Amino acid sequence: MGAAGGAAERTRARRVPGGLAALVLALGWVLFLAWALRQGTARTFSWSEVGRGAGGALGLGEGLADLDQTIWRLRALRALVALAVGGALALSGALLQGLFQNPLASPGVLGVTSGASLGASLALAALGGFAPALALGSGASLGPLLVTLGALVGALAVLGPLLVVAGGGARLSVPSLLLAGMAMNALCAGLLAALQSLTLSDFEVARALFAWAFGTLDDRSAAQAGLVWGALLLGGAAAPFVARELDLLAGGEEDAAALGVPVRVLRLAVLLLAALLAAAAVAVVGQILFVGLIVPHLVRLAVGSGHRVLLPLAALGGGLLVLGADVLQRAFLPGVDLRPGVLMSLLGAPFFLGLLLARRRELSAW
Amino acid sequence: MVSALALRGLAYAYPGGRAAVAGVDLALAPGELLCLVGPNGSGKSTLLRLAAGLLAPGAGRVELDGRPLAELRPRERARRIAFVPQALRALPDVDVEGFVLGGRYAHQPRWQSAFRRPGAADRAALARALREADVEDLAGRHLDELSHGQYQRVRMARALAQEAPLFLLDEPSAGLDPEHQVQLFLLIERAVAAGRTALVVTHELNLAGRFAARCVVLERGRVAAQGTPAEVFRPAVLGAVFGPHLYYGTAAADGPDALRPLVVPWPAPDSGHSNR
Repeated sequence: MGAAGGAAERTRARRVPGGLAALVLALGWVLFLAWALRQGTARTFSWSEVGRGAGGALGLGEGLADLDQTIWRLRALRALVALAVGGALALSGALLQGLFQNPLASPGVLGVTSGASLGASLALAALGGFAPALALGSGASLGPLLVTLGALVGALAVLGPLLVVAGGGARLSVPSLLLAGMAMNALCAGLLAALQSLTLSDFEVARALFAWAFGTLDDRSAAQAGLVWGALLLGGAAAPFVARELDLLAGGEEDAAALGVPVRVLRLAVLLLAALLAAAAVAVVGQILFVGLIVPHLVRLAVGSGHRVLLPLAALGGGLLVLGADVLQRAFLPGVDLRPGVLMSLLGAPFFLGLLLARRRELSAW
Repeated sequence: MVSALALRGLAYAYPGGRAAVAGVDLALAPGELLCLVGPNGSGKSTLLRLAAGLLAPGAGRVELDGRPLAELRPRERARRIAFVPQALRALPDVDVEGFVLGGRYAHQPRWQSAFRRPGAADRAALARALREADVEDLAGRHLDELSHGQYQRVRMARALAQEAPLFLLDEPSAGLDPEHQVQLFLLIERAVAAGRTALVVTHELNLAGRFAARCVVLERGRVAAQGTPAEVFRPAVLGAVFGPHLYYGTAAADGPDALRPLVVPWPAPDSGHSNR
C-alpha cells in the first residue's frame, strides 16, 4: 500500500524463482569446491589428480601419492569447513531475522558470535595446557567438544538477555535491537580482553586464545568438519518445520498467536537452533562477522521473504560466500594470509554501509 | 442456552498498574452481532484481546461455549476465534492468496513441513473466503498493491478462512470511505447470518446502531450501558460518556425496527467555541 508500492512492485518483478536460485548456488558450490581442491598454497593439481584424490579419499581407487593425498585431504576439509561454516552462519542469521521480524538481526549484530567466542575462549583457558594443541591442530578428541559446548553456552547466554530486552513478546525495534547487540558485544569484548590479560603470563594459553580469536580455516580436523556439518544438517532439517511459522510472524507475534502459532515454543526452538548454528561455526573457525547479516539480505532481495525458500537458499549462499572468498583470496592474493573472519569483515562492513545508504529513505522512518 | 462467548468479572491492568479493564461481565448468544463502543482509551481493544485469549486477565475469566478459554491450546483457540486487530505490526511480504491461506494454519497438522501443499479443504476454504469477502479478483495481488478498503476486506477474508464460529473485530471499518464502511458491515452481517457470532469494536455509532442487535458502551474499563441501539444511543446515556457534541436523529432501516438511531458528531449549539 501507499507510496512505497511502486518501488516494491519493481523489486518483486526482478525476483528469481527459488529453484533457479538454488541451482545457481549449487553450481557455485561445485565450481568453488573443485577450484579449492585443485589450487592451494602448495602445488596445483591437474583435474585428473583432483579426481584420483577423491577416489583415494572415498576408498574407490588408489588415490594420489602420500603427500599429495594429504594435501588433497587438507584442501577438502578446508573447503568443507568453509561451506558449512558459511551455511550455518547465514542460516542462523536468516532464522534470527525472521524471528525478530527485523532485517538487521544476525548472530554478529546481536552479539551471539562474540558470546560464543567468549564461551569458547573460556573453555580454551579452562583446558589450560591442552589448549595450544586444540587451537593449532586437531587436538584431543574431548577438546573440540568442550570448546563447542563453551561456544554454545556463550551464545545462549547472550540470547537470553536479548529476549528480555525484546519484552518477551514485542517486536524488537531496530534501535533497541542495535543497542542491546552493542551492549552485548561490548560486554563480551571486555570479558574476552579481561580473560586475555589474565592469562597473559601463561604464554601457551595466551597464544592459543590469540590465534583462536582471529579464526582460521587452516588444518581443521575431520571431527571439526563433522561438527559444523552436523549443526548445519540439523538446522537444515529443522528449517522447513519453522518456515511457515516464521512467515506468519511477519504480521507481528500477536497476529501469529491469533492464527494459532505457538509463539513461545517457536521462539525458543528458533533461538536454540540459531544459537547452535552460530556456536558450531564459531567453535570451529572463530569469529566470522557479517555472513549472517548479508547473505539472508541478498537472498531475500533475489527470491523474496518466504522462509520456505529463504532458509535453504541462505544456507547455500552463506557456504558459497565463505568458500568463494577463501578460494579467490588464495588464488589472487597468494602471499597474504587473511583469516576468514578478517576477510569477511573487510568485505562485509563496506557492504553493510552501502546497504544502509541504499535504503536510507526507508530506514529514516525508524 | 450456553453463551458463545462469556466474559466473567474480567479485569486487566497495564504493567504500570493503571486499570484498562475493570470488571466486565458480558455474554454473547450464538449468532449474535454485538457492537462495543466507547471513547478512545476506554479499554475496548484490551477487552477484545482478553476475549481472544491473547492477553491473560488479571482477574476473571473468558468462556467459550461454557468452557474456559485458558484451557485451549493456541491452535484450538484459533479454530474457534478469528481475531482481526486494528492493524498488523507490519505488512507481510506475500500475495493475497498466501495471506488468506495463513488463516488455515490452525487447521493443518502441527509443525507441518513447509513443503506440504495446502490440502483440498484448505483450497475450498480459501475459495469460499475470497468469494464471501468479495476479493476473488485480488487473489494474485501483493498486499502492498491494495487500497486500504481492499486490504481490510482481505483481512476479513483471512478471518473467514479460519472458519471459526466467533469473530472478534477491532475497528474493521476504520479509515474506510462511507461506501466501504457499509460494505464491510454488510460482510459482517452476512457472516453472522451464516451462523457466526461477532463482537465488533467500532467508532461508527450509526453502523453499530444499524447492524447490531445489541450495543455495549464501555467507559474507563467498565460497562457504562448496554441494550438495543434505541435504548443506548440517547443523549442521557451517550452524553455522559462521549460528551455534549453529538446530534441525535433517526434513519429508516429494513426489518422490524424500521427506525434506527442516528448519532452524528456535531458541536453542541450552546458550546459557543466558535464565538470566542
